[in-house]
Amino acid sequence: MYKSRIWRMFIQLSGFRWSGAFMEGQQPVLIFTTEKDEDFFVYVQKPKLSSLHKYKLEQQESAKPVCFTAHITNQTVTLLCLYSNDSVYQVLIPLQQDTEEEEEEEEILSKSLLLNFSASETVLKGTSLVALDKDHVAVLGSLTAPRKERRECLTIWNTKFHTLQTSKELPLGTSGQLWCYEEKFFLIHGKVLTVIMYKCETSSLAAAVGKLKCSQTPDVSSFVNWNTLEDEELEVSFQSQESVALQAESRMNLRSRRSTVTEQQPETLSIGQLLLNLKDASNYVLETKLRKLMAKAPTPDLQATIGCVVTALTDRCKRNPKYYPQLFLQEIVETRNLSYSLCPDLMAVALDKKDMHLLQICLERFPDIPEEITYACLKAFLGMSESHLQNIDVNLDSVICYIDVEFDNKEVKTEIAENGFGAAMDQDMCGTKIPKQSQPWSDDDSCPVGPQKAALLNAVLHSAYTETFLLPHLKNLPAGQAILFLRYLYYLYVKCSEKVNTTLPGIRSPTINQIMDWMCLLLDAQFTVMVMLPEAKELLSNLHKFVRAQVRFYSELNKIEGSLRELQRLNHLRESHTYSIEVLEII
Amino acid sequence: MGCEPTGSHTELPSPGRVLCLSWHPSGTHIVAGSIDFFRVIDVASGQTVQRIMVNHHVEKAKRECVVWAIALLSSGTVVSADSFGRVQFWDWELGTLAESHTVSTSAALSLAVSEKEDSIIVGTSTGATYQLQLLPVNLGGQEKRWVRTKPFQFHSHDVRAVAHSPTALISGGLDAQLVIRPLMEKMQKKGYDAVLRKFTFPHRRLVSCARKARLLLFQFSQYLELWRLGSTEETGKDGEVLSLCRMPEHLVQLKSKGPEHIYCSCVSPCGTWIGYSTASRFHLYRVRCDGDGVSLRKVPKVPKLLPPAYQLQFSANSDSLFVASARGSVHVFQLLEPGGCKHLHTLQPPSGCSEAVYLLAPSADGHWLAAVSGDWAIHIYNLKCFKHHCMVPAYNCAVSALAIHPSTNNLVIAYSDQQLLEFSIPEKQYTSWSRAVQSRGLHRAWLERDSPITHITFNPKNPAHILLHDTYLLCVLDKSLPLPDDSTLLMNQSTLKQLPETARKRQLHAFKICKKFQPLLFMDLLDENCLVVVERPIMDFKTQLPLPVQQKKFGT
Repeated sequence: MYKSRIWRMFIQLSGFRWSGAFMEGQQPVLIFTTEKDEDFFVYVQKPKLSSLHKYKLEQQESAKPVCFTAHITNQTVTLLCLYSNDSVYQVLIPLQQDTEEEEEEEEILSKSLLLNFSASETVLKGTSLVALDKDHVAVLGSLTAPRKERRECLTIWNTKFHTLQTSKELPLGTSGQLWCYEEKFFLIHGKVLTVIMYKCETSSLAAAVGKLKCSQTPDVSSFVNWNTLEDEELEVSFQSQESVALQAESRMNLRSRRSTVTEQQPETLSIGQLLLNLKDASNYVLETKLRKLMAKAPTPDLQATIGCVVTALTDRCKRNPKYYPQLFLQEIVETRNLSYSLCPDLMAVALDKKDMHLLQICLERFPDIPEEITYACLKAFLGMSESHLQNIDVNLDSVICYIDVEFDNKEVKTEIAENGFGAAMDQDMCGTKIPKQSQPWSDDDSCPVGPQKAALLNAVLHSAYTETFLLPHLKNLPAGQAILFLRYLYYLYVKCSEKVNTTLPGIRSPTINQIMDWMCLLLDAQFTVMVMLPEAKELLSNLHKFVRAQVRFYSELNKIEGSLRELQRLNHLRESHTYSIEVLEII
Repeated sequence: MGCEPTGSHTELPSPGRVLCLSWHPSGTHIVAGSIDFFRVIDVASGQTVQRIMVNHHVEKAKRECVVWAIALLSSGTVVSADSFGRVQFWDWELGTLAESHTVSTSAALSLAVSEKEDSIIVGTSTGATYQLQLLPVNLGGQEKRWVRTKPFQFHSHDVRAVAHSPTALISGGLDAQLVIRPLMEKMQKKGYDAVLRKFTFPHRRLVSCARKARLLLFQFSQYLELWRLGSTEETGKDGEVLSLCRMPEHLVQLKSKGPEHIYCSCVSPCGTWIGYSTASRFHLYRVRCDGDGVSLRKVPKVPKLLPPAYQLQFSANSDSLFVASARGSVHVFQLLEPGGCKHLHTLQPPSGCSEAVYLLAPSADGHWLAAVSGDWAIHIYNLKCFKHHCMVPAYNCAVSALAIHPSTNNLVIAYSDQQLLEFSIPEKQYTSWSRAVQSRGLHRAWLERDSPITHITFNPKNPAHILLHDTYLLCVLDKSLPLPDDSTLLMNQSTLKQLPETARKRQLHAFKICKKFQPLLFMDLLDENCLVVVERPIMDFKTQLPLPVQQKKFGT
């Protein structure tokens, strides 16, 4: 009976427009839309209960649905329809529980306007619509404005506050299609399949108006741009044959630009083939061949090629523990715009080989290092002995301008006093001065780590990270290293505060915000441990004092400002009548 | 004897000129500082016995090194403070440098040595002062060295003068402040002396008032200004500002000739005579106001006085002028119409006096004159017969103000320790009210003020009223009311104003204090219900100061 019903239905259909499968509780729910004679119908089917509901969409004058998407919350299907009049309409369909019988009459679904993409003269012509969660939708389309070229772009909209959350331009054009699985967008950008990760946070007004510190944005990884189609093909070509099917599948999605991709294919395959051939070549031959390959690689695929080259090198390093082309790797990382995702094994190998310089360069250059690796670097840097580090070539640019080479630099100290902290702050001008107990480290302002280690730590401070991902790793940092790191951060902070503009001199020297963020992060991660450690007590109390002193200093400045304002005001008041006759009553 | 740097620290005086000097305590030698060197002069022969170059050790010797201050210690050590910010200790006989302390990056301008010669205070052009102390190198050891111990920053500008008392460091700066910083280690107990004191205004009268003519004479360092007060026809409630029917009028500005500062000045009660004195000359002018025009004529053939006046005071009827002079003497000049002056008499204390007179108070009836000299003795003279009448019993404190009551001829005296005494001139003894005050004691809050009473006047219509003021308050002292005790509120005017008339009576006490006008430079009663008050806002002259040498910058 069930089969026949489906069958009958299909007969009625003239064209499928969209379909989606959802789980509501334990039940699968099928929703699909059809078009017949300018009318659109929505079917909601629960195969388990063998129920099928047919609805008719309310007609919209001079506009037709272009794309559908839906999500189910609280027994309600929210169907979002992108119409050709640049608007998204919302249709709510209740999931009926108790329908054993088929309802013959059609219910007409009313729709409500959710979003309109035309603002003044700029219009977003949407082609694809995907619901991300209950408050966010992604729209792929082209932006048209008068006197401007049309630009294709991917946009994320907050439907709760009707705001544009973020957008990403896709200058090479798209196929107009957008897929979304497991927090990743898949779209065809130019001739490559681009994957963009996104993360939707609970929508709040603060995020909507852009006040929240880090609102969810696909830009987090958009610049990573790590999976190009060619790259995938390469992986495929010299690793396994299994994913060919997948590749073919993804290629099927290419409609408009399939031809260009196929043209490209022989060459990319040849690179893969070449690398496969070089697998057993001698180290010298490998390096020369690779250099040549990099030199002649065509520009569009350069990044992918270099990624493959580095992968080939790291693979060899892994196989052959004695092989490590340090200078070659450094050269590649320094001269090419690599990213972590292009060569995921590189930093792991460098960590393994304790190549501090390469790690430093990677940290400074890669925009997408996973927090795990950042933490591993930090741990390795902190764990290195100073004597060992002294023999290592490390770029000291970030350190050389502020680190004290001579520790008895008196002029530096007077500068501290000027900024409200230091000896002058607590000094009792009234004579009876108790000499302060000298502490092993806190009284002298010398750097707790050597310049090499400082430079490496600065590289860590410079790397991009997300607090939530870094925090669990930082909890594992051994207490001694944590204290050393905190001392170094404290030292940097004091150094920063000495300067009038609170910026350290030098190239790639950490900014005050980076220092503060790391300090907070480290304290967050390690606070329970720190509180228990006697050697950390002094440091924590110093930090506390320092912060308090700064707060007090600035509050005093504020007070002074207030008093000066008041004085100025009084002055004006007085000036107006320097001579007056007043009535004074003395009782 | 001393020399002070007169120019700004950026202008250099001509070389060879003596900029500072110091006597040896025994009086045998003088040391004189110049540019790049100082000389030691033997007093007996007048010969220069040593000439020491002070910038010998400086690499940047091209810059001139000005010795701004110098001191000769009894041990023969010469201490010099120079424009390089150094304090140096020299053995003048050998001509060698014993110690050198760079106390500041800018010039050291002044120095003073304590009587025991174990402590030195140095003033610099950044407004900082430093104390150097002679301390044993080892605890209990014999060898001693000079050590820079305490820095102080009380001034914003040049510290031009410093003094070292046994218990305090005193500094005076270009920022118009005098600071007394007690040395806490010399203090036995908490008290008036153990607190840091800052003074902006001199404890002297800088304004005088011609009551009858309603004129005010303002004394500035180089000139005098005569103003006629404005007036109103309105009345109003407490705190109201009345509209003026006549604006105040600036009648005359009288500029003093030469570089000397004006030391004292006075306008006669009738407003037709103005007298002032500089360090070397005494001048008397006749002022005539005919309608709108004001004419000022110098009185010719004024008797030459050497030294000139320390204080000037006209008699109540404006026919004589009292000039306070050296050695306890007071000259009495008779003022003659239309514009003349003749020396009438010189009053002198019978027992003699080495100090100059600094305060004068004539009685309204022209019968008595009270004079206070630097030894704090108060002499009262009878002006009818120009005889010494009596002396007020000695009190071991400086007199800060005194005045004779117009109807009772009681002399009211304010001392710098805030004590108030009333002395009956005819009876030559303290009045019973004064004794009552002394036995009961003044209110603690009154005694703890740190600014002395600088002027006393009376209300002719209410003999029980004494009007007093210091820099921060004016007070009507009503002798008919009970004295406040320490448990009552001294400054109770604002409380009283909130009480209903009937409830006020029980709360009233003798001290009616008003703190509305600050800083208060002068206050006088023009007539029964008209009081003139002169304020000098600190910002008015702070804004006129030159830029400080070193400007502090805040982190932004």
